[in-house]
This record gives sequence, structure tokens and C-alpha cells, in this order.
Amino acid sequence: MKKNWTILLAGLALWGVALTGYSSEKPVLLRNANIITVSGENILGGDILIQGTKIVRVGKNLPAGPEAEAIDLAGQWIMPGIIDSHSHIAVEGEVNESGELISSEVDVRDVINPEDINIYYALTGGVTTIHTMHGSGNPIGGKGIVLKMRWGKSAEEMIFQGAPLTSKWALGENPKQTNYQGPGRARYPKTRMGVEDSIRNEFELARDYMRQWKDYEKRLKASQDSKGKIPAPLPPKKDYRLEGVADILNGKLWVRCHGYQSEEMLSIMRLCREYGVKLVCFEHGLEGYRITNELVKYGVGISTFADAWAYKWEAYNTMPHAAALAAKRGVVVAINSDDAERMRHLFNDAAKTVRFGGLSELEAIKTLTLNPAKIMGIEKWVGTIEAGKDADLAVFNKHPLDPYTVCTMTMVDGKVCFDRAKYLEDRKKAEEEKKKKEAEAKAPKEKKNGAEV
Amino acid sequence: MKKNIFVIIAVLTAAAFLLAQDTTTRFLIKNATIVPVIGEKIGKGSLLVENGKILALGQDIQAPDGTQVLDAEGMFVYPGFIDGFTHFGLVEIGAIAGTVDYREMGRENPELRAAWAINPFSVHFGTSRINGTTAALVAPAGGTFPGLTALVKMDGWTLPEMAVKEVATSMINFPMTPRPPREGVSAQKETKEDVTSKLVDKIKEYLDEARRYLSLKKLAAENPGVEPPAFNAKYEALAPVLDGTLPVVISVEKAKDIELALKFVKEQKLRAIFRGCGQGFMVAGKIKEAGIPVIIDSLYQGPSDPEDGYDAPYRNVAELAKAGILICFSSGDDPALGKDLTYHAAKAVAFGLDHTEAIRALTINPAKIFGVADRLGSLEPGKDADLFIATGDPLDYKTGVKYMFISGRKIDLANWWDVLYEKWKARPQK
Repeated sequence: MKKNWTILLAGLALWGVALTGYSSEKPVLLRNANIITVSGENILGGDILIQGTKIVRVGKNLPAGPEAEAIDLAGQWIMPGIIDSHSHIAVEGEVNESGELISSEVDVRDVINPEDINIYYALTGGVTTIHTMHGSGNPIGGKGIVLKMRWGKSAEEMIFQGAPLTSKWALGENPKQTNYQGPGRARYPKTRMGVEDSIRNEFELARDYMRQWKDYEKRLKASQDSKGKIPAPLPPKKDYRLEGVADILNGKLWVRCHGYQSEEMLSIMRLCREYGVKLVCFEHGLEGYRITNELVKYGVGISTFADAWAYKWEAYNTMPHAAALAAKRGVVVAINSDDAERMRHLFNDAAKTVRFGGLSELEAIKTLTLNPAKIMGIEKWVGTIEAGKDADLAVFNKHPLDPYTVCTMTMVDGKVCFDRAKYLEDRKKAEEEKKKKEAEAKAPKEKKNGAEV
Repeated sequence: MKKNIFVIIAVLTAAAFLLAQDTTTRFLIKNATIVPVIGEKIGKGSLLVENGKILALGQDIQAPDGTQVLDAEGMFVYPGFIDGFTHFGLVEIGAIAGTVDYREMGRENPELRAAWAINPFSVHFGTSRINGTTAALVAPAGGTFPGLTALVKMDGWTLPEMAVKEVATSMINFPMTPRPPREGVSAQKETKEDVTSKLVDKIKEYLDEARRYLSLKKLAAENPGVEPPAFNAKYEALAPVLDGTLPVVISVEKAKDIELALKFVKEQKLRAIFRGCGQGFMVAGKIKEAGIPVIIDSLYQGPSDPEDGYDAPYRNVAELAKAGILICFSSGDDPALGKDLTYHAAKAVAFGLDHTEAIRALTINPAKIFGVADRLGSLEPGKDADLFIATGDPLDYKTGVKYMFISGRKIDLANWWDVLYEKWKARPQK
């Protein structure tokens, strides 16, 4: 098996940084950067002081102090680390339970793969936090989780502590299995009516299940209070699927609902209100621009593409202006990747919203930072550059919305997790090494005293 | 207020211009920065078009009385971009079979013509024009010999009217050494056996059969006693490939496969155009030496091999150009993403490609590669008036194309997206 030098070197670099910077808690001063704070005005030629994992000060001409390690960014641009609110990377194997209609019992947390190279690729595009999810084949799917791109750490250490857990739902063509070409028998539902019905039906089953347990606990207490006069009841059968749905009904899980068409989104918003479910966001929501009044009223955001479309019927009635139109009308809009490769250039995608639909540069940057942080319930910690927030930062050699910009450094929790200069140096070394080896292989082998060795 | 008057004047000028379009065959673009690609940039320049052709360009162009004038003050005129590889008009919505016409059954279909199936009214022609694309290579896909590509303009009432070349190239999908297994997917076993070379031998055998057919046919034509072979459309279609008159696009990705393909092309004496070459940077010198141009694929791809480094697809473009290889950009397999042609070029510039070279790789280079440089690819007198006027750098995500002309016709840039945008922008906000 071939060793992957990228992983290896990136890993070594991380280990080195961990030894020198992070563990000793030495303050780091990023100097002379054009700072896109997102929380306020841009600061041209500003500094950011980092202590441990946190930003402690942002401003101009900050005193370094004798202890601080200063990094001169020489007029480069720095923005809050990019937050990708819809991803499927860092997951072991498949992300869909295609055979079952409802799969609320499964949890992405159990299958986090911290060695997925896409985590490293995400860092090369300035991404520091992701929401990674179960797929979109089930009306009520599995649970998702928020991860920090702490490349080199274990699965458990990657988890964004404090971030609300999520439940992934799906409407439309995927749960209908419209374009499903795989083996297996056709299953219910085949219409949008059936999709909504299967969610509602599951809610009723879960309510009934919750009642059974409540009833059991009541009878158990009565038995205990009677000191054995009333016999102890038998507990109901444990049902992990319904437990998952119960967690949705009692608000433990935030719902992220994959949906394209405006009318199905409207009806699911009504359903969620009826059952008191915390629906935070429509995934893709390509027709969300049509129902901005309703999305604003119910406080539901959209996590969407900048311009992917027309790959299936329900993705046809949209345009690259959709994200900007919805954002301008007050909907919280996040531009997401849903794809390991697209994740590498989300900053380019945000730039498109300036042209299509006319977002300001700040609003465009927000679709990658503060907006997804709000949707994911983590804006206390990330999404802007201000004192007290996590030191998750992305550095670019030009403004991140410039067409020719390149991400040069990415920091997670105050640690450099990607450094392009270092990468270039490592690649050069690796190439020289390779050339040397090739030259050695070509050179005629010497025989020692004519004897076979 | 002053700004408003400006806007009104601009709108009136544009409206007058639009109205006049049907009756005149001559117009003048003036006050623009003209980037002719061949020749120096012209500041405050004018460009005169007559009967669909460029008549003259420069700083002192005199137009006859009655010539319609378009004042492009502060804007930039470029020759229309040429997309080097697409499925425009062959796929509407990927998931709906009834709208998909680019992939035929079977392995060998060298006789199939994209031109037979292209829908001139595909919504993707409209949405893909908006960043300056005025022409594109439209290719079929699938199998080893997918068929014949067409080079078409991005506007026209019928396909024959759109076509610059109804048959532009033939195609071979070169056998591919599989990509390394993805993380988390069960590992494929690396076999010692050189499967790729065996598959290449199969292609050679097929070409040999075609050669035998063609020589037998020739022999029969020259000798009345000899029975000609039964008509075979596939072999017939390969005749111009085998005699080197029709170029063949060979899709090939990895360095190892590129080397095999170079050998194959030399042996078979083909006029090859490579497509893809994700690991081209490793063998750039050899590609240059063979004089084979390269169509760059969509850059929305990870590296062919993680060991190439995360930026391999991006920096590869600059490396190929630096080696002196004639390159052109393409938007690739998804016609819905045709507008992204310029985004790929921008990415290549970000990772080292010279901006001027990027513009050439969108204009004169593809024109040369597909043998249409006498008509397309630059702003020169006598060439087709396929051009656009942009408000800024056409590779910038944030700027747009304001006007476009194809064969001297003003193109309505409004498309499906604008229909939706205009309609829903009007929904009252509560």
C-alpha cells in the first residue's frame, strides 16, 4: 500500500504546531492583514491577537507583547473560517439507508472518519467547520453532526462541542425514489403526498410510543409507591427508530429538511408548526426564493448552492439569483457544498451572489460564515472575527471574492491546519526525492567483486 | 439625478439600437477597449461590422452615414469564447431520460453524429452564453468510439445554421487506469496485469479491421472483378480518421495512460487532440514534442492521485501552457454548467496561468485546435462578427457580459433564469 505523502506531511506539520504553539498556550499575533470581521466594518491593515483557541483582540497596531509569536500576513486578506452547513465528508462508507423508508435510528456520529482526505482538502479552501449528514433518501433520515476540521485528531475530538444535533429529512424525488436505478423493489411513497404522509404517520407512532413510556413510568412509580402491593409493570418494547422521532418531537434534534419545490416546503413548514418541531433550514431549497415571506415568518433558513441546477426535474425551476433574492428578502441563506470538491472553492461560489441578484460583498461573505453559523446554532463561537470567538480563520492572498484569490492559510482553534507555503515547500522536497530515487533506479547496479549479493 | 439621466440615455440608445437591428446589416461599436487577441489591445477603439463579418477595427474607424452606433464607453470587447467540450443541446435534465441524447448503447459508434441530435433551443445555450461563450464543441459520449463532434455557434434557427462544422472531430475514449480507491470505499486490488495495454490493443484491432474494409473497398472500385465488402457505416466513418484528415479527440487522464496514448497516436498516424490530461504536467514535454493540443476538462475535480497535491488540476493548466502546448478550456460534461467556462479559466489564472494566455485558451487556441481560426477566435477584418462586450474582466465572477453578437446578430442574453427572476422579484414582500 502506497503511503500518501500529503497526509503524512500534513499530519507531521500539525504535530509540530501542536508541540510548539497550541499546548504552550503562547499568544499568536496575526499582523498586517485586511480583516473581514463580518461582525462590523472591514479593518484594513489590522491585527488579530489569539490566545489558545480564542480570539482575544481585533484592531489596529495591537501590542505584540514579548511572549507573542507574530505572523506577518503582509496585507493578505483574512476572513472567518468558512462554515459548510451541508456536507457528507468525513463519513465512513455510504450515507443513505435506501432500503428503509424511515431511518431516524442511525447516527453519523457513529461513523465519523477522521482520516478522510477531504478534510484536508476542505482546509485548503478555507473551510474550518462543517455539518456532515445522513443522505437524503428518507423522509426522516439519520442524525447529523457538526465537526471542526481538526485534521490529525480523532473522530471524537473533531466534534464541535455544544453544537445542536440535527435530524436530516428529505422531500421530493429522493424519498420518492424517482431517479433510483438500484436493485430492490419499489417502495412507498411515490408521490409528494406520500412523503408528507409518511412523516405525519411517524409522528403519530412516536407520540403513541412516548405515551406508552409515560404511562409505564407512571405505573412504575405507583408500584414503587405501593411498596409492592401493585405489581411492577412490564416496560414497553424499546424502539430506537421511534426514540429518534421522539427526540425530534421534544425538540432535542434540529431538523434539516432536504427539499426543492416551494409547495412541498410550505406544507412541511405547516406540518412542523402543527407538531411543534424545530425546523431550522431547508437543504438546497432551490425554489425557496418563491416563498421568502413564509420562510421569514417561520424563521426557516436555506442552505443552498450558488448555481447548481437542472440535474433533475425538481432542480429545474431555479436560477443563480435565487440565493441572493432570498437573502435580500430577509431569509438566512447559507451557500453550501454538498460535495467534497465544491467545498474547495465555496469562496468562488459566494462571489457569484454579487453578480446574480446583487448581494453586497459583506452579505456574500455572510453566506459562508455568520449565516451557516446561525442555521447550525453555533454563532456564539464562530462565524465572525471578534474577541471571544474561536480562532477559526481563513487567509487569502487576495480578497476572497476576487476571481484569482488563493487560500494561503487556514487556522482552526488558533492552530495552523493548512499552510500553502509549507505545502509548496513539502511538494518541492517530495519531487526532488522522487527524482533522486528515479536517478538511482536508472544508475547501473554495482557488483561487489563480481559476486552475486 | 445625473446618474439617472445617464441610465435613461443608455437605455434609449440601446433601445434604438435594438429596433434598428432588423433593418441594418452594418453597425459600429465605439469608445471601447478592444482586446482582439491577435494584435495589440486597442484603447478607445471602434469596430465595424458588416453582413455578419468584421470589416475593420482600430482607433480611427470611419463608418458610412446611417451606420448604427453602439457606444461602449468604459467596456471591453472580446472575440466570443469557444467552449472546447460540451454536451449542449444533447442533455436537458440529466435525470430525465427523455431529455438525454448524448450516450448511445454499445462500445463502437464512430459514425454517430452529435449534429443529428442537437436541440438548438436547449435552455442551456441561453444560460451558457452569459459569460461570453459564442461557440462550442458538442460531443456525444459513452463507449470507446462515441461518435462525431460538431462545432456550433450558440445561436441559430436550425442546427445547420448554427454549425461551423457539422463534423468537427471523431472521438476515442482511451482506456483508463482506474483512479485510486476513494477513502472509505473497499479497496480495489491492484493487478499486475497491464489491463490498459490490452484494451488499447483492442482499439488497434478495430482500427485494423476498418483499414482492411477500406482497402478492400478501394480494391473493388479499381478492379471490377473484386466483390466489394458489405457496407459498414462504422468503418466508413473512420476513413477520414485513418487517413489523418479528421482529428480525433482522445480522452486521457493519467500520465501513464497519456504515454500509452502518445505511442498509440504515433503508431496509428492519427491527428490527435487530447482531452483531460489531469496528470499532463508529468509528461508535458512529451505532449509538446508530439504537437498534440489539449482540451482542459472542467476544473471541478480533485487531483487524479492525492500524491499529486491538492492543487494539481489547477496548476496543471499553467504547466501545460508553459511547456508550449496549445490548450483550450471547456466546461465539460454538464451542459447546465456551461457558463462556468470562464470560472475554470479564472482558477487556472489563480494558480499560475498568465491572464493573456487564459484568454487565448478561450478564443484563438480552440479556433486553431478545431480548424476554424479562419473564421473564429480573434477580432480581425474578415472574421465572423462573434463577439461580446463586457463591463469588466470577463473572467471575474462578479462582472457580466452586456452585449453579444453572433454572426453579426445581436443576441438577446435574457434566458430561463431571467424569466424566473423577473417573475418572482415581483412577488409582494410582506
